[in-house]
Amino acid sequence: MRKYLARRAVYAAVTLLGVSLSVFVILRVLPGDPLVAILGVEGHASMKPADRARIMADLGLSDPLPVQYVRWLADIGAGRLGKSFFRGDTVAALIAHRGPISAEIGVLALIVSWLVGLPVGILSAFKPNSIPDGVARALSVLFIAIPGFWLGMLIVLALLFWFGYKAPIVIVHFWQSPWENLQIVIGPGIVLGLAQGAYIARMARSCLLEVISEDFVRTARAKGLREGLVVLRHALPNALLPVITISGVLLGFVLGGSVAVEQAFGVPGLGRALVIAVIERDIIVVQNLVLLYAVIFVAVNVLVDLSYAWLDPRIRYS
Amino acid sequence: MTTSVLGELVRFARRNTLSALGGFVGVVILFVALAAPLLAPRDPLKADFRHMNKPPDAQSLLGTDQVGRDTLSRVIYGARTSLFVAFSAVILGTTVGSLWGVACGYLRGRFDLVSQRIMEILQSFPDLILAMAISMAIGTGLPAVIFAIAITRIPFGGRVIRSVALSVREMPYVEAGRASGASALRVMTFHVLPQCVAPYLVLATTHLGVAIVIEAALGFLGVGVPPPTPTWGNMLADSITALVPPWWLAFFPGLAITVTVLAFNLLGDGIRDTLDPRLSPAFLRMMTGGRRS
Repeated sequence: MRKYLARRAVYAAVTLLGVSLSVFVILRVLPGDPLVAILGVEGHASMKPADRARIMADLGLSDPLPVQYVRWLADIGAGRLGKSFFRGDTVAALIAHRGPISAEIGVLALIVSWLVGLPVGILSAFKPNSIPDGVARALSVLFIAIPGFWLGMLIVLALLFWFGYKAPIVIVHFWQSPWENLQIVIGPGIVLGLAQGAYIARMARSCLLEVISEDFVRTARAKGLREGLVVLRHALPNALLPVITISGVLLGFVLGGSVAVEQAFGVPGLGRALVIAVIERDIIVVQNLVLLYAVIFVAVNVLVDLSYAWLDPRIRYS
Repeated sequence: MTTSVLGELVRFARRNTLSALGGFVGVVILFVALAAPLLAPRDPLKADFRHMNKPPDAQSLLGTDQVGRDTLSRVIYGARTSLFVAFSAVILGTTVGSLWGVACGYLRGRFDLVSQRIMEILQSFPDLILAMAISMAIGTGLPAVIFAIAITRIPFGGRVIRSVALSVREMPYVEAGRASGASALRVMTFHVLPQCVAPYLVLATTHLGVAIVIEAALGFLGVGVPPPTPTWGNMLADSITALVPPWWLAFFPGLAITVTVLAFNLLGDGIRDTLDPRLSPAFLRMMTGGRRS
């Protein structure tokens, strides 16, 4: 197990280094002149060369690219994430202020997806091709196709119509007022969770059906166990592993999807901050936030791998 | 020839009724996109200040927006942009990824090792966020959006096709080709590549829906194909700028996205079941990136 952990950690470290390098390449190298990216072509052309050079030096953009890259990594190591080009706030403060909201949405989506997806999947697998199974499958196909941000828009619209809902303008953290905080995150959490739940139901169904045809399940039935016990005690634990993996992959969808869903609900989370930064071409903010999203994604997938190794001895010892 | 193709289609439709329905709807949407100038009742860009914010009526079937543009015409023209972006991005990304995957699986060794790391890195980003960053870096036009979405599709093609190539390269006929002195390039092109066509088609269809959603999300966030070009995502973005968004502006473009994605997903499921029964249904879409926004 220790060897496995070490190998996995090295892999993750290499991946993260590559991730940071590609973020840097995409945002600093591709646009050519970062000032053009920040100011736009016209803004750039209307500036005096001396001013341009001064701003570049101020932003630390006039050094050679490898130097910039290494300095960026060193800054992250030291906890300095730089400042927004257009606003005074530091990226670290932005993350500390808005991050919790987005994190709550993600966790809520995860909880909803399991609470909805797993029972539906089990119900489907209990009686495959029955009417409840058909309904469950049709719904999951539908929820996979509906874009979350559109569903969010419709919900907001309905709430606006019937209850006079207003999008939250200020951030209320959970420790300030749990009730108001919940009102902010519950919509996006449920919308994202339902979509992931559709995938989980699908996955749980097909895995359960596969496991149910195995010998040990027949043995359990042969010794006279009730069908419910056979499925829940014997089949389910063995079918859960792929579902857990899927949950890790799904997190990528939640992270990306939350950006659009936050916009639909008007929730002032980290995703909104990223969108605003992209529109304003605030490179320092975009660079660090994109890296943050990727780091979270990689970290969670490492955790999923570890839980897999912990749950399944065959992987641990191979 | 034609009768056998037709026969195959009928057989496919009998076995996968839902997929056939999805395929039919997909073809209809494709037709609408191609024939947009003939089908759209009005000019999608023409503002009409006498008819602003009109709910659906006989004159404008799906209503009009804040500057009086006809929603139906815009949805029809939106199909054009959305499908063009999705098809181009998926074909570009899946093709590049698949060719790369063939090379990885066939050549193996250090090239494969390095390529796998690169694909892993690309997959470490949530799709939408990677697409946003790329399209921001290279400018927000139609080509930038296509390119950005295409990049996010590369690793999926690469991984699936690589595994196909890995198993194909061990087959006796490939070995025979190698033994008779064919170059690696020749063996890959004439012996390995044809085996990858079926999984390639499966991949491409399953990713169409994903690409449409990413494009719409980019448009919705205001970082996609720039306005005034009507796209479904842009229309949704326009609709929420109003204090009280009119329901028809929020409803119809989203419905268009959902129906299109549903149609292509159903078609993809059927094609996969027919061409590649080895791949288990739910798992492949996951591993090959059926993503959500």
